[in-house]
Amino acid sequence: MPHLLEMNQIYKAFGGVPVLNGVDFTVEKGEIHALLGENGAGKSTLMNPLTGVHPLDRGSITFDGAALEHITIPKSEAAGIAFVHQELNLINDLRVYENLFLNRELTGPLGRLKKREMSQIARDLFSELGVSIDPNALVSSLKTSEKQLLEICKALHRKARLIILDEPTTSLSNEEIDRLFSILRDLKEKGTSFIFISHKMPEIFAVADRYTVLRNGTMVQSGDIRDITPAEVTKLMVGGSFFGANAYQERPLGEPVLELRNFSGRGFQNIDLTVRKGEILGLTGLQGSGSSELLQGVFGAVPVTGGTLRINGKPVKSGSIHKAMKARAAMLPADRKENSVVPDMTLLENMYLSEHTLSASKLPIRKKAELARYEKQKELLDIKAASPELLITSLSGGNQQKVFLARWLNTDAELLLLDNPTQGIDVGAKAEIYQLILQLAQAGKTILVNTLEIPELQQVADRCAVFYEGEIVKILPHEDIDEHTVMLYSTNAISQEEAV
Amino acid sequence: MKNVQKTLSRLWSGYSFIVIFAVIFIFYWFASSGLTWGGTTNILRHSAVIGLIALGEGLVIITGEIDLSVGSMMAFVAGFSVVVFNATQSTVLTLLFALICGGLCGLLNGVLVGVAKMPSFIVTLATMLIYRSLAQYFCQQMDTALTGGGNSLFKMSREIGGYDLLYGFGNGKLLTVPNVGWVLLVFTVGCVYLATSTKFGKKLYAIGSNEKAARLAGIHVPLNRTVVFALCGVMVGLGSFLWICMNGSADPATSGSSYEMYAIAAVVLGGISMSGGKGRTVGILFGAMSYTIIDKIIVALKMDSLINDTIKGVILIVAILVQTAGPEIKAKVQGLRKAKA
Repeated sequence: MPHLLEMNQIYKAFGGVPVLNGVDFTVEKGEIHALLGENGAGKSTLMNPLTGVHPLDRGSITFDGAALEHITIPKSEAAGIAFVHQELNLINDLRVYENLFLNRELTGPLGRLKKREMSQIARDLFSELGVSIDPNALVSSLKTSEKQLLEICKALHRKARLIILDEPTTSLSNEEIDRLFSILRDLKEKGTSFIFISHKMPEIFAVADRYTVLRNGTMVQSGDIRDITPAEVTKLMVGGSFFGANAYQERPLGEPVLELRNFSGRGFQNIDLTVRKGEILGLTGLQGSGSSELLQGVFGAVPVTGGTLRINGKPVKSGSIHKAMKARAAMLPADRKENSVVPDMTLLENMYLSEHTLSASKLPIRKKAELARYEKQKELLDIKAASPELLITSLSGGNQQKVFLARWLNTDAELLLLDNPTQGIDVGAKAEIYQLILQLAQAGKTILVNTLEIPELQQVADRCAVFYEGEIVKILPHEDIDEHTVMLYSTNAISQEEAV
Repeated sequence: MKNVQKTLSRLWSGYSFIVIFAVIFIFYWFASSGLTWGGTTNILRHSAVIGLIALGEGLVIITGEIDLSVGSMMAFVAGFSVVVFNATQSTVLTLLFALICGGLCGLLNGVLVGVAKMPSFIVTLATMLIYRSLAQYFCQQMDTALTGGGNSLFKMSREIGGYDLLYGFGNGKLLTVPNVGWVLLVFTVGCVYLATSTKFGKKLYAIGSNEKAARLAGIHVPLNRTVVFALCGVMVGLGSFLWICMNGSADPATSGSSYEMYAIAAVVLGGISMSGGKGRTVGILFGAMSYTIIDKIIVALKMDSLINDTIKGVILIVAILVQTAGPEIKAKVQGLRKAKA
């Protein structure tokens, strides 16, 4: 039997940097195929040509026996490929059936919409799949899990035979995941194929038939899921060469710098935490578990509803970024492009944005002094840039992140809140960023790092606080930080008693 | 040859406003068959009011907002400045009033946009209606002694000693250049300094370029927004003061009418991005002067002045088309060449 999807020797580079180096990837009819790999391994880059988002550099794709060339979004849709993105592509202000029929509405004479028919077809489709969604409800009123299911229904309604699911379970509860999986298995029996992109081993082993592991843009291994264990998959994903040697070193810790008592806000509650000078505390948890929100709460970027926050022993009024900055806190936010990059400014201007708000009473800019300090930071952080007058957008992700680190070091911050600092930067630069974090802690900075990448935390964190539904469920000492233990706590798979 | 081409293309991408200005100026040169120094400096005189307003508008646009009320605000501030002059007979108080009243009008916009977080387009659309209506209403209702004798025009009383001083300033020259032209030049330099060499200026660009990142970098976005609208109001106040100095009166119905559009056009022609965060403030001066010259060309060619706005509109479209479509066309041409090679 021919493969449903066959991708041969796929090459793709962005701006001269190779992302895919001759990847082979096949999916059979009626299977759930897990596509595995770390962030930046090339999973989405491999999927993008399928849906016509980016063209290939080299390689061939056959789908259902026919070669797919010059793929565009409508072409891929017509072939029967659908991509359910992590950030769902639904229109919140339209009704469920309107989303389902978007751009392919049933119409009568004079373009009149056949609303009743469409609503009925939607209802039939849902009942066939065992989904209980009201076709006339507004999408904005649906739960995230329902939206996820709606996306899948939308793909099926468009006669998709291959559905790509990008981390579909991140925002679902355990029950919802079970329901999603039973629907997937059902559809699989009926001949629909799925590519399942996920990090979560238990889920992959619960639902997938086969797997393919990517690492640094090459296919490492592919096979039957029954022939492999989660530990082996992790090993394949991470590879042996992540950091080389273990860079972690124990440091003497000083006075408490950050003290939280009963600290609560949107997305996190009742946080009690003390972090001491020179300490690196890792925060982790599933998306939406509150670790990122806590950092934003400490920094005053989101409103806080209760509890106390002390920095260096002094209470800090929450809800004001400026006050937090004056107390010498700094936050490197997640999603660099959205929250850090000021795209129309040079890297020097980007680097001084925060310092300027602290020294705003002295209106003129002292450019000479800034340039001198720039040279120092450039050397300290090893920023690779030809000139401080270049636009920030001309730098690579890793170098941009170093500029933003410098933005905060320029404010003489003592407490650094780093939210997902290695998001979207290549492996080499990641190691560099963590090396810097260790150096800064050595120099007496207190650092909180929020990340989902446990292997990275293992390299730097003195302790690791695991979040579940807005609360810290466990603080692990350095020796106990490993992917397995963290995953158990962050999915609340074991309660604390059992662990003891 | 290649170097020349490179320099030219760089000049175009960063300083297209100078190229546009030069083209229009040369056209004017021919149209007016020989140009005198007086005629040239006269461009500055006629650009002064709109130039100052456009500078304020430019700062607002850099933050990614817009102020539609500047034209009406000018009628309001100029009208009441005349009243203050007639009532107090003091030139200093008149100037102070113009600046403060403009600042307050701008502050109202700023608070509604920055603090109450309403969309600037709607807020300033509303205040545009309000300011002009108030100017017209009070002009009719006020004692004729205050409006200078009429009830459809705010007129500065010629009997007051300060009149000659103000009118003389508005129509006099210093070193062969009109006084009001000097004011425009000085404030352009001030704006350029503010935008390029002060922390406040950088914040405006940062807010316009990526508001979220600006906030997370510690910039107080509501405060800075409010201030920039107030600043725009002060510039309008100064423009209003120059207006009454030059004309001796202000007509609440026509003074400053459509000025918000000319100001925005001058800002855009000056190369400042409407979405904020990009552009050089010095371009605004050239944008404003370009439009003044178009007026003069039409007079020189003895054309009907009603065709004026058509030409201004066409030039705006062409200039923006070249700015936005130019790079795309260039990239395509280069792509084709590469494909051939």
